[in-house]
Amino acid sequence: MKNSDVKMHVRGKSIFVDDILPPEGLLHAVLFTSPVSKGKIKRLDVARAKKAEDVAGVFTWKDVPGKNFIGHVVLDDQELFAVENLEYIGQPIAMVVASTKRAAVNACKLIKLEVEELEAVYDPREAYKKRMIHGKKRVLVNGDTEEGFKRCVHIAEGRADCGPQEHFYFETQRSLAIPMEDGAMKVCASVQSPGIFHRHIAEVIGVPMHKVELEIRRLGGGFGGKESTAVWVAASAVAAKILNRPVKMVLSRNEDIATTGKRHPVSFDYKIGLDSKGNILAYDVDLYQHAGACTDISLAVLERSFLHATGSYRIQSVRITAVSCRTNIPPNNAFRGFGVPQAAFGIESALLHAAEVMGVDVNLIKKKNLLRDGDSLPYGMRPEKINAITCWDELDKKCNFEERISAVDEYNRENVDTKRGIAIIPVCFGISFAQTALNQASALVNIYVDGSVSISAGAVEMGQGVNAKIALIAARVFSISTDKVRVDTTNTSRIPNASPTSASTGADLNGMAAKMACEEILKRLKIFVAKRINHDNPEDISINDETVYLKDIKTDYRWEQLIKDAHWDRTDLSCHGYYATPGLYLDREINKGRPFSYYSYGTSVTEVLVDCARGTYDIESIDVVHDVGTSISSAIDKGQVEGAIVQAVGWSTIEQIRYEKNGKVLTGVNAYKIPDIKLCPEKFNVYFLENSSNPFAVCNSKAVGEPPFIHGIGAYFAILHALRSIRKDKLVPSLPLTPEKVFMYIHEC
Amino acid sequence: MLRFVVNGRVVETDMHPGTILIDFIREVLNFTGTKEACREGECGACTILVGSLDANGGVSYKSCASCILPIGNVRNCHIVTIEGVNFEKNLNAVQQLIMDNSASQCGFCTPGIVLSLLGFCLNSKKFSYDDAIDSLDGNLCRCTGYASISNAAKGLSEVLREKNSDIEERVNVLVSSSVLPEYFLKIPEMLTDISSVPNGKISKDSVIVAGGTDLFVQKPEQLQEAKLFFISERKDLNYIRQDKTHILIGGAVTVEEFRNSEVVNKYFPAMKDDLLYHSSMILRNRATLAGNIVNASPIGDMTIILLALNALIVIECKRGGTRELALDKFYRGYKKIDLEKCEIIREIKIPIPKGNYYYNFEKVSNRKTLDIAAVNTALLMQVDKNGKIGDLRISAGGVAPVPLVVQNLAQFKGNVLDNNIIRKIVDVVTEQVTPIDDIRGSAKYKKLLLKELVAAHFKSFY
Ligand SMILES: Cc1cc2nc3c(=O)[nH]c(=O)nc-3n(C[C@H](O)[C@H](O)[C@H](O)COP(=O)(O)OP(=O)(O)OC[C@H]3O[C@@H](n4cnc5c(N)ncnc54)[C@H](O)[C@@H]3O)c2cc1C
Ligand code: FES
Ligand code: FES
Repeated sequence: MKNSDVKMHVRGKSIFVDDILPPEGLLHAVLFTSPVSKGKIKRLDVARAKKAEDVAGVFTWKDVPGKNFIGHVVLDDQELFAVENLEYIGQPIAMVVASTKRAAVNACKLIKLEVEELEAVYDPREAYKKRMIHGKKRVLVNGDTEEGFKRCVHIAEGRADCGPQEHFYFETQRSLAIPMEDGAMKVCASVQSPGIFHRHIAEVIGVPMHKVELEIRRLGGGFGGKESTAVWVAASAVAAKILNRPVKMVLSRNEDIATTGKRHPVSFDYKIGLDSKGNILAYDVDLYQHAGACTDISLAVLERSFLHATGSYRIQSVRITAVSCRTNIPPNNAFRGFGVPQAAFGIESALLHAAEVMGVDVNLIKKKNLLRDGDSLPYGMRPEKINAITCWDELDKKCNFEERISAVDEYNRENVDTKRGIAIIPVCFGISFAQTALNQASALVNIYVDGSVSISAGAVEMGQGVNAKIALIAARVFSISTDKVRVDTTNTSRIPNASPTSASTGADLNGMAAKMACEEILKRLKIFVAKRINHDNPEDISINDETVYLKDIKTDYRWEQLIKDAHWDRTDLSCHGYYATPGLYLDREINKGRPFSYYSYGTSVTEVLVDCARGTYDIESIDVVHDVGTSISSAIDKGQVEGAIVQAVGWSTIEQIRYEKNGKVLTGVNAYKIPDIKLCPEKFNVYFLENSSNPFAVCNSKAVGEPPFIHGIGAYFAILHALRSIRKDKLVPSLPLTPEKVFMYIHEC
Repeated sequence: MLRFVVNGRVVETDMHPGTILIDFIREVLNFTGTKEACREGECGACTILVGSLDANGGVSYKSCASCILPIGNVRNCHIVTIEGVNFEKNLNAVQQLIMDNSASQCGFCTPGIVLSLLGFCLNSKKFSYDDAIDSLDGNLCRCTGYASISNAAKGLSEVLREKNSDIEERVNVLVSSSVLPEYFLKIPEMLTDISSVPNGKISKDSVIVAGGTDLFVQKPEQLQEAKLFFISERKDLNYIRQDKTHILIGGAVTVEEFRNSEVVNKYFPAMKDDLLYHSSMILRNRATLAGNIVNASPIGDMTIILLALNALIVIECKRGGTRELALDKFYRGYKKIDLEKCEIIREIKIPIPKGNYYYNFEKVSNRKTLDIAAVNTALLMQVDKNGKIGDLRISAGGVAPVPLVVQNLAQFKGNVLDNNIIRKIVDVVTEQVTPIDDIRGSAKYKKLLLKELVAAHFKSFY
């Protein structure tokens, strides 16, 4: 079973927000944003812009009909339009609406702004020193690290840094708002969070939520970047409300890169200690998260980094602190992995350092300390069936780690011009929103009298194939062809208060809700059939391949007829299913609990070849064993694994954002480079862990969107391995390891 | 009035010839299958095919980025969008392979990928897998990780390899193999019917547009109002040939045509691979050598190569007649060139090297392909029978305000090339460069890198 949208994609027939036939009277909105990283608005003059040709209106915070706030968690944390204080370049100040986008862009240039520029902060550690933080500093202590370090023979202490990453979803941020009767508003947008954005729209235009309908057909990619920041959706709705005309806002690529949030860079101070046998006895780590100007979703990301600070390893004593630092860049937000890749980078960096101190191959330490059944995590949770070592061993069997590592070492002994590097990365990724309340979903299943089935769920389709999975689950329950099932748009009028489609939980939660609704209708159908044929036990009735069976004997009663008759007999053919993941909690005072329902595991091995003279490299191969439970669709899951890994390879290697001294993003689309087809490894083998099952998610599957992302940091560590074989007299360079950094590491004295 | 065929239909328009093709396709014709994801030629989401009548009465198709392509550049052409390659019911062979390999997730990049692969089907000499991948070097995808796309490409090259690969028969073969819809057979006739002679005359205030791949990234808004003169209308400038002493390249020749030219590859076999590092297929199919030269970027790849080859340019003067000058005399300062308004580069001449010679090109960029170099350099060196250096030319980009030709290399003439001499050459080169910090890298990096790349030139021969 494949992603059902693909047939339309290849024909260019899929409708994205900007492909919707323009409604009569459509206007285009463009934002006028802050040119400074920190300052105060002294004077704002929009009079000339208002008078410009084709302009329908120019609006500021004063014009917002409802609340001027769109904070994700803390509402008043983020203004829709700046009132006085400017905190980052790209912060919305005003909006120009005109009959063409070009007219709006031109009119924007007529806005006059005077600001008093203030000193901005771009370094998270400096922000921390100045007490510019979001929320509170988190501290998790498990065991006694002081005591632990005393018993250590090898101790490594240092700093590690990983950089930001631009989402580069192909479809930039966009929204189309259409006023309806009675002050209502319909919004079609490219967003991942139906429930939260629904609320934001209602709040900014000042109407109750029942007057707002948010409709999401599909996204041209999301990756977390469309989960929390509501600026563009809210702004277009405000314009539509004031002007009572349809309004569209579509960001250009460079606007999107310059003004939207990124993956959070994190800076680590670590101290790790091992005994003489290589057991990790103590790990002490401080995380400084670079969050940007508003809280946005940063505290949730921070929590996930914090809870995953020990990666896939068992560590006797830990002390973890994590703080979200407020800096003057656009608020960073969710990005595939949600803080876990950063945490994995931190512990892997510390381990590499420890191995160098010990003088042993880092992979020996990794294997020795991998989580095993019975181990528990620093926040007190003891996962049921830990597949960390199983994945490691299975990949080892396929690739023979020892042989490959010694082949690399041998190659490096014999070659000067090129060097190889290899890295093995284990993955352990907790599934569920750490915010317990978000672990709920609902789905509406309708069967129509012709036998066709329509499903609406809270999940948003963004290429990850959640709709195909839901359709497949429904088709399985009813035992009908998937052609009979259509997953409709995500629409807040059909599914209220839906959680974001994120944390890899889309199929887990929504698939389960859909399954429950389907099962309920199936029950009703069986009762109807039993009544109709005067059979007393409905459980003897089953449907198989669109045909009714009685005690496993085929009848000639077909699905279409059954549905028609059931309706005529007044059977309810519509059902709302609701699922909430059981047993989750997290006590944030003591940082203990069971925040995750289960874990996703994997192991990968990445090999690279570095060209020493040029500082360039090729990713030669990536082999992966990943645990997807019992896959609902292996084609979809494989695509998720490959896509996540290559995205992470980009983060680890060439994806680099450069800023001007004043904080302005310099790397537009002509310089921010994501992986292309030639960067993709020549040998790329993805295997699923065999015989894996998972009682905690729908149909024994496991979530797959984010966890495989971690494998991709293997590119960084493999290149580093090659570099360390050349020289060790320098500090380890930060992530990403661009060709420039590689070159300078090798050639600069 | 501009006329062209879009998919199966003749379209006429009075819109400004600087109107961007993707806007015309999406907003005027409502073909929304063509996607825009960058508007700078960087992503390939907007890829379409442009077919033009060739000398034999057939149509030759090239994949192009429609987001930086003015409609004036496609006069009399066949424009093929994703809607124009759909069959009524089934999928075409490319679409089917993408489907079978799950090579599409969010789908935003997919129409562009289908069209680039069709460009491969239409142009590849032997339907090799490498050609299929090269055809996709300008099509990014943020979702799939490319493995599935490579598999689809592999499948395609395998399916096609069994077919007749005669280029003259290509469209027929693809139509009968369910790759292209049948109406493609009627296109040559349609194009002949609509063909109109362009009346564009160059005047003082015209902007000369060749491929437009620099211009329409730099100032698209202005150009939609300016007076434009399209080099594509100068059919007489589209040739590559040789005389006794030079390879002669017309002013309208594209980088991709140059890359595939037999004449060029006869003397510089490495060129075919070297130029894979120049932009991407969908840009090379439009970007011209002359445009690269006139754009005068200190880092232009084509320019750096031509400088090392000691190319000459022939310029058509305002009042008729031509003048000829060495390319290295053309550059006078940062983006300052010896070209007056109304002057056109009519021809580029590459001296045919004599005797035993070596040519090499080096480029390092953050991403290996489809990226602007941090530093690039090319070398041409004559070596006599005794291994002594004859003429030696080295060019270097990204290290000076102009594309640089290294001076003072004559001193090495007559020396036998050994490590010591190489070191001295490297020193002479590095003394002459003055790189700056910018988004492509720090000054220090560029200087050190150039040193290594110049040394690498010599390593590539031995
Ligand atoms: C995404 C992207 C990637 C790129 N990658 C590379 C790369 O890797 N390496 C590289 O070197 N370049 C690269 N470029 C730049 C560009 O593609 C090249 O410089 C190209 O060769 C320009 O040619 P053109 O025909 O498109 O020029 P145009 O944009 O049409 O013109 C450029 C200039 O030349 C003038 N001009 C053009 N033809 C003539 C003529 N015959 N006589 C007089 N004046 C003329 C024009 O008036 C204009 O001033 C890239 C561009 C993009 C958008
Ligand atoms: S939109 Fe990206 S290349 Fe045209
Ligand atoms: S499928 Fe989403 S960008 Fe390619």
